[in-house]
Amino acid sequence: MANRERFALHVNGQIHVVEAEPARRLLDVLRADLGLTSVREGCGIGVCGACTVLMDGRPVSSCLLLVSQVHGQPIVTVEGLGGNGALHPVQQAFVEHFAFQCAYCTPGFILSIVAWLEQTSGQDPESLEEYLSGNLCRCGSYRNILKAAWAAARNREPSRL
Amino acid sequence: MAIGRSVPMRDAEARVRGTVAYLADLRLPGMLTAKVVRSPFPHARIRRLDPRPALRIPGVVAILTAEDFNRPGAPRLFYGVDRKDQPVVARDRVRYVGEPVAAIVAETAEAAEEAAQAIEVEYEELPAVFDPLAATKPEAPQVHEDCPGNVFLHTRLRHGDLEAGFAAADLIVEETYTTPPACHVALEPHGVIAQWADGRLTVWSATQAPFVVQETLAELFGLPREAVRVIVPPLGGGYGGKGYVRLEPLAAALAWKVGGRPVRLILERSEEFVTLTRHAACIRIRTGVRRDGTLTARQVEVYWGAGAYADITPRLLRGAGLVRVVGPYRIPAVHVDAYGVYTNLPPAGPFRGTMSFEGAWAYESHMDTIAHELGMDPLELRRRNLLRPGDRFCTGEVIEEAFFLECLEAAVRCVGWDQPYEKGEGGRRRGRGLAVMMKSTLPRSRSECRLVLWADGVLELHTGTVEMGQGAHTALAQIAAAETGIPLERVQVIGPDTDRVPYDATTSASRSTSMMGTAIREAALRLKEEMRRRAAPLLEADPEELILQGTGVMVRGRPEVWIAWEDVLRRHGLEALEAHGVFETQGGLDPETGQGIASPHWHQGAGACEVEVDIETGKVRILRYCAAAYAGRVINPALATLQNEGNVVFGLGQALMEQILFDQGQPVNANMSDYQIPSLRDLPEVLESVLLESPEGSIHGLGEMTLPPVAPAIANAIFDAVGVRIRDLPITPEKIWRALHGE
Repeated sequence: MANRERFALHVNGQIHVVEAEPARRLLDVLRADLGLTSVREGCGIGVCGACTVLMDGRPVSSCLLLVSQVHGQPIVTVEGLGGNGALHPVQQAFVEHFAFQCAYCTPGFILSIVAWLEQTSGQDPESLEEYLSGNLCRCGSYRNILKAAWAAARNREPSRL
Repeated sequence: MAIGRSVPMRDAEARVRGTVAYLADLRLPGMLTAKVVRSPFPHARIRRLDPRPALRIPGVVAILTAEDFNRPGAPRLFYGVDRKDQPVVARDRVRYVGEPVAAIVAETAEAAEEAAQAIEVEYEELPAVFDPLAATKPEAPQVHEDCPGNVFLHTRLRHGDLEAGFAAADLIVEETYTTPPACHVALEPHGVIAQWADGRLTVWSATQAPFVVQETLAELFGLPREAVRVIVPPLGGGYGGKGYVRLEPLAAALAWKVGGRPVRLILERSEEFVTLTRHAACIRIRTGVRRDGTLTARQVEVYWGAGAYADITPRLLRGAGLVRVVGPYRIPAVHVDAYGVYTNLPPAGPFRGTMSFEGAWAYESHMDTIAHELGMDPLELRRRNLLRPGDRFCTGEVIEEAFFLECLEAAVRCVGWDQPYEKGEGGRRRGRGLAVMMKSTLPRSRSECRLVLWADGVLELHTGTVEMGQGAHTALAQIAAAETGIPLERVQVIGPDTDRVPYDATTSASRSTSMMGTAIREAALRLKEEMRRRAAPLLEADPEELILQGTGVMVRGRPEVWIAWEDVLRRHGLEALEAHGVFETQGGLDPETGQGIASPHWHQGAGACEVEVDIETGKVRILRYCAAAYAGRVINPALATLQNEGNVVFGLGQALMEQILFDQGQPVNANMSDYQIPSLRDLPEVLESVLLESPEGSIHGLGEMTLPPVAPAIANAIFDAVGVRIRDLPITPEKIWRALHGE
């Protein structure tokens, strides 16, 4: 057994101290140690986007990150969206626009759209495609996912525009 | 009315919050991890297998090999739906790369992984065969000792006088089409947890067929059915890949070996590619036609490459493998010969659009070749020959609900088929294509359900239908609400759990909404009848006078004499009222002639598209795609449309991208980087979905209908654009480029 070390992770607004081997994948830490099961393994090589989390607001594949590569950057999973039990506007838009089927990929898509809304003007189809090109939906709900993204963009609070 | 409304999926909120618990999210106390040791050779004798070095690794609990089976008190080694040819772990011979030869249970994944490396296996390689057609040649290596020639089943369909049909033709066209093995690539991999307690086996499995799993495990372990419990969490996609029996025998045997602790086996992505594939098919199709476009005869010879084990293929070959390769046409003489062929590749099985995908690829591409040779419009050729209501199909059965032409016409309308069309000049050429298909669903299958009305007014629907993203539980709850009159919010869906819900054959072949839906209607009728019987004395009326309204019972014509359902139960001192519903389809085909009833009803779908081909690179862009399905009665329009669009997206991958590449039996693209599935960027620029409804029609499944037309519609559009006919899927830019350059 390799040596375990202590890591302080800033996840969904809270500090979690975990003991893990430095080479343990962030995906496994989030799922197994912190119980954040919205983060899912699909391909294991950073292609499908099912394990997407936001790190410093950027969507990243948690299957490609080692726990030792995270240095205090805030991490957000869908468990950390919304507030007071309410759905985040992107989650709400996904429900309203039937933007999922099996939903295994859904948390990853939602986080990529949240990042798109926060990091861009939220008005450019090219940039939306760019943000979503790292998420795969095998059930083929893409059109409704796009509809949900645009609905969320339209409903953004004016203060954030 | 609960039917015809676009209500969100029942657990929509859990789905967007990421709290839906898939198999991988279940945690049982003391759970152990399993790992499979797999064959590196496509065909080899196992000369020596020594698990001892692995047993010495700390954390390893048990190792399973073929030695553990077929002894007194031990499970049987071989299983299979029809031919019991597949060992849980290989005994003395391996037949494909990736075949399990041993399995390990350990405290941690790391220990299991280390042990898998430490097991010593010595192989002696044998000659192998990979192509289904080559496998039938006399000189081909034999995959199974008891199956010379590698053809384990040959089924036939014989309809009309074939010779006379061809003699009456002005033109005979013969072509060969192929489809390669492909992978389902559900984002959720296969997974099972198995646990033994007090002689009972409980299995949590991401399966589409809980009752088939139960039956198979009971048989393998010599147990009565009731001693095996199968629980199915929501699936992260299935597409046929989780149909029938997959990892469950292996997980159950491992759990049996360790005694009471639960054992979890979840596949890695690479293992998915060697667990179940689409059939590698070779289809020879020959058609006679008159100058006016009337079809006179069709002969189809299909080699279904089943891989190393027969799995579900024999059952498919007695129906689907024959009738799904002919096409929805009125043809006086039809002969089909379907061969189930062993090869040294992973087993093949159900795959969204099973066998219709391969069939339509051949017959719909072929129809365009015929149209081209006749100098006829492809739509016109189909218009003259498509089955109409009351026509007889080649199985002898009369097709009552036949809307193939309506589907096709709805699809082509979106691409302006009757408008003049500019194909373009220079490097980019445009073309249009269409295709139509018919697909059988399962004859001789049964769906049962139970409705339980509790005194507090909650209606439970107990069903074995698996929710895998298609929205089945939502649609079934809507049916239960509509048929009982109970508000949808008060309907709860229980199952699948073989201890709690009655039998259902499987969640496949787009059968669930239709068949389970009909069983629910039966149960609702009985429930209402029982309610009337119970309410009658309370209202001092005859049961026949009573009608159910909302959530109560009233006397006809006297709405003031009314009692709530809850009160009926309470006054009778009942906790709940139960009713059972059963729906069973009949039929089946004669194995020698293919005559009989192939399907209780027919799935019908069409597609039309407009493509642009870059003649410099061979790259195809789908400018517009329209998918039209006959939907009968739609339960939930939004979810139905989602299924229909999903068909197109899934079909695009199958048409343009997907193939598991094997090099001498070794999968070389068994990951999601080299084996690509459609992303958002691969969508058609315009995607239209049409659902043809008929209020008096029956409920039709929609999860597959418009998938099979995708590949031939695109191939036909490419032919229209650049005059190149691709006959081997997938349609890659390289194939188009080579064909354009005369290679």
